[in-house]
Amino acid sequence: MADTEIAGARTGPSGTRAAVPRPRRRINTGSLATHLVLSLGALVMVFPFVWQGLTALKSLAEVSRVPPTVLPDDWNWSSFDEVFTALPFREMLTNSALATAGRTAGQLVFCSLAAYAFARMRFRGRDVLFGLFLSVLMVPSSLLVLPQYDIIQQFGLLNSTPALFLPGMFSAFGTFLLRQAFLALPKELEEAARIDGAGSFRIFWSIMLPLIRPALAALAVITAMTAWNDLLWPLIVNTDPKAMPISAGLTSLEGQYETNYPVMMAGSLIASLPMLLVYVFLQRHFVQSVAFTGSKG
Amino acid sequence: MSLFPATAAAKSAGRRAPRAAARRPASRGQRAAYGFIAPLGIGFAVFYFWPMIQTFYFSFTEFGPFGGHTWTGTDNYARVLRDVTVWQALGNTLVYCGIGLLALPLAIVVAALLNRRGLRGVSVYRALYFVPFVTLPVAVGLVWNWLYNGDFGLLNEILGWFGVDRHYWASDPSTAVFAIGAVMVWSTTGYYLIIIMAGIKSIPQDYYEAAELDGAGPLRRFFTITLPLLSPTLFFASVICMIQSLQTFDLIYIMMGEKNPAVGDTQSVVGLFYKWAFMENAQGAAAALAFLLMLLIAGLTYLQFRLQRKWVHYG
Amino acid sequence: MRRRTLLCSGLAAASAPVLAACSDGGGGTEGGGRTTLSYGMWDPAQVPGMKQIIAAFEKEHPDISVRIELTPWASYWTTLKTSMRGGTAPDVFWMNAVNFQLYAAHDVLEPLSEHIARDATPVDRHPEQLVRLYAYDGTQYGLPKDFDTIGLWYNKALFDKAGIKYPDTTWTWDDLRDAAAELTNPRERVHGFCSEMQRQIVLYPAIQAAGGYVLRDGHSGFGDERSIEGLRFLTDMIDRGWSPPQSAMVENIGRVRFWSEKAAMVHDLSAMAGQMYAVPALKDHGGVTVLPKGRERTTVIHGLANVISAKSDKKAAAWKFVHFMAGRRAAEIQAKSGVTISSYAGTQDAWLKSMPEFDLKHFIDMEKYGVPYPSSKNTAVWENLQYPLLGAAFSGKGGIEGAARTLGEQMDRALKEERS
Repeated sequence: MADTEIAGARTGPSGTRAAVPRPRRRINTGSLATHLVLSLGALVMVFPFVWQGLTALKSLAEVSRVPPTVLPDDWNWSSFDEVFTALPFREMLTNSALATAGRTAGQLVFCSLAAYAFARMRFRGRDVLFGLFLSVLMVPSSLLVLPQYDIIQQFGLLNSTPALFLPGMFSAFGTFLLRQAFLALPKELEEAARIDGAGSFRIFWSIMLPLIRPALAALAVITAMTAWNDLLWPLIVNTDPKAMPISAGLTSLEGQYETNYPVMMAGSLIASLPMLLVYVFLQRHFVQSVAFTGSKG
Repeated sequence: MSLFPATAAAKSAGRRAPRAAARRPASRGQRAAYGFIAPLGIGFAVFYFWPMIQTFYFSFTEFGPFGGHTWTGTDNYARVLRDVTVWQALGNTLVYCGIGLLALPLAIVVAALLNRRGLRGVSVYRALYFVPFVTLPVAVGLVWNWLYNGDFGLLNEILGWFGVDRHYWASDPSTAVFAIGAVMVWSTTGYYLIIIMAGIKSIPQDYYEAAELDGAGPLRRFFTITLPLLSPTLFFASVICMIQSLQTFDLIYIMMGEKNPAVGDTQSVVGLFYKWAFMENAQGAAAALAFLLMLLIAGLTYLQFRLQRKWVHYG
Repeated sequence: MRRRTLLCSGLAAASAPVLAACSDGGGGTEGGGRTTLSYGMWDPAQVPGMKQIIAAFEKEHPDISVRIELTPWASYWTTLKTSMRGGTAPDVFWMNAVNFQLYAAHDVLEPLSEHIARDATPVDRHPEQLVRLYAYDGTQYGLPKDFDTIGLWYNKALFDKAGIKYPDTTWTWDDLRDAAAELTNPRERVHGFCSEMQRQIVLYPAIQAAGGYVLRDGHSGFGDERSIEGLRFLTDMIDRGWSPPQSAMVENIGRVRFWSEKAAMVHDLSAMAGQMYAVPALKDHGGVTVLPKGRERTTVIHGLANVISAKSDKKAAAWKFVHFMAGRRAAEIQAKSGVTISSYAGTQDAWLKSMPEFDLKHFIDMEKYGVPYPSSKNTAVWENLQYPLLGAAFSGKGGIEGAARTLGEQMDRALKEERS
């Protein structure tokens, strides 16, 4: 909760954030146990990532040795150099950033709009439509790759940045997630606004949307990560290395018989740094408690 | 759109003069609703519904690897239902689904712990639990395969201290499904954690303060406030978790390889779909398989929506 | 058309590359100015060598430039198939035996026979079995660029420790078996041999050495008695503990065991020589020779070919490139880069000399009796039957005879289906 001081800067249009009174900190056995459990879990979560880092510092011969070594024999940083020579890293990072931004922005806009309607409005065919939208989640995404490719080609967008994010801007997952967030909000909020004469878009935009900020942030994080790591789709629509995102570019280090794991791990570490930073940044600014100021009178 | 007053309320829509024969006439409120949905609807129509319709058609054809197709009627569906590997894959998939759902309680416990008031270092933990997201899937596969390695793996070393015999965890048909399932839980817990944390953060603090004034302890607050108010999020997470574990594929592909003697015992339905569609040039049959899977998922999802009335509380 | 323009102008604001994509297919066209060919391949290790060949080609043809499109092996064929449908496939690309007939049968490859005759491409300088691998219904569709054979790699240090003579060209299966028994050392987790379930480098050579076959005249050879004998030779070594079972070898493949000096002998490709050479212990005391003789002396020969997409709109330039790639200059550059054996006769010296510690000449000598990698129109379908059916027998559970016969029947069914 050390992030309350930034909260003032990021308060949404919903109004001021009430300072939550904090009880004094108690260091007791309970919180010690909590820390123990959480750190153990964190260790399990981080372990493969650390392993990835260690592998990046090993030589190719060492990586494929049995029994495997934990720490590298000599700490060898050349794999990082090799990544930069093997791949047009700057272009690929730019493509990744654009694809990620496009997809995330698209989902936040389109999904929140539709989710609001599904959650808070009544109209004919709502449940059927919602079911239909959910069906998108139920087929394996690779089933639709071929026809989607045909569509992108008809738009003349192969080997372009929009090709990377176009289908991904529309998401049933995001709509469902935000719908649930909207559903969880108390009814009184809208009714008060409606009595004040606000239109549906205004209610949506200035009252309801700010209240689901945690869910929006979660969707943004998840979408951004999915977009950043997307593999099959970019490989199929953008075959030109210059139009590839970094996720697809990295796999070109894989060979038929042998993969240069140290270089691949090094590349992936470099590629994942921006995402880690984005997450740390996002969570400090968005993922915090929402206070319903004035909503309950 | 904001020019229209009092549009959203269903009640007010109902109060408007009804058109003959229509139970709920298209009011301005309705039109507004369609306006909200239209952008997504158009995108879905172009990039998902149209491809789905096309693919559904192709599931009744034999589909050339480079385009072109011939009508074969329901042959593909018959082939899917006749194929024993399909049923085996379906069994495996249901096992994955059962194991995969374990990620939810785990994520809830971690989220509740992270939500403890006055706990230091919460943002550090949150960042650490996020790390599996940015770990390269290949790295995930490599590490876990090394942990499970029958000859030189860490797991056998540790179990060896307790006198457990060495075992090929990921290549013995009897344990491979569970070995993969464990990694599945590992890799999705962080994901649901993010969703559940967001849900918890949406719970108004006022409730907790009120409860605290009433003298409710942390456990009681968790069960009387957190869980019920989190139920819409939990419902979402359980539906998504079920759908995604029924579509498990990547992890199995990365961890198993094709020469593993346990391949048949670990193959998922989507794995089989992938093999047919992209390796064996049987796109038509693959599409039929995908639609049958979709039918199953849709049925189970419908069931979940029916059951939610019993446990999900909306505001 | 109108919709496309609208969409393009709308999106153009968001990103610049769209503009290029809207104006034409990207890339140059034939006639007027420089033609840019795309060249599809999957092996990152061969990029430097290919770039040198391209440089030499562009010097000879200043009006053509070639751009490499590297797609990872794991998604190469999926991507290629998709882009074939959309007509965005590379103009020239790598082809292997497994996929060739499927592509040729669906008319997505440009027939080369006429071009070859007209330009007198030196086809006869390439191994005949390889050239034939890339002909379909009497028409040539691809020209080989390299080839691979399988040899027996061994660890001299482990042989010295066990006090046995190194393998040589006189070795037979009996010698292999005796040595494997001697070399196996359970305490150090060292195995004499790796009977790995790997079709190209272990299964097929064993089947052929026993006098059996994998595919002949559209029929499976897995049910053949001699084929079964070859497979039994392999599983027998697993049952006796001279080779790790398959369940252990998926976790640490034979190649890795050999690199880590936990396996004394393995079968492996000539293409892996460079990797072996990079392991200091093997550079010091690794060796290679021909495969031991069973009933027959044999190996599997496979090579990649360059093919032209039938949908390419730059076929004339593409042919010039493929013709150049089949010539002596390109072969010499490729051999010097040291990754694969160039298929052009007499250009392999540079490759041999690049690793003087290994007796690589065996790989080239084996070309004479190498059996081409078996393939049909839908090879992947029956190949995918092999590992699941043979897995149990290769994991020490016995029953290779029954498994092989079942495999033969199922493969015959798949072959019948692909003909219909």
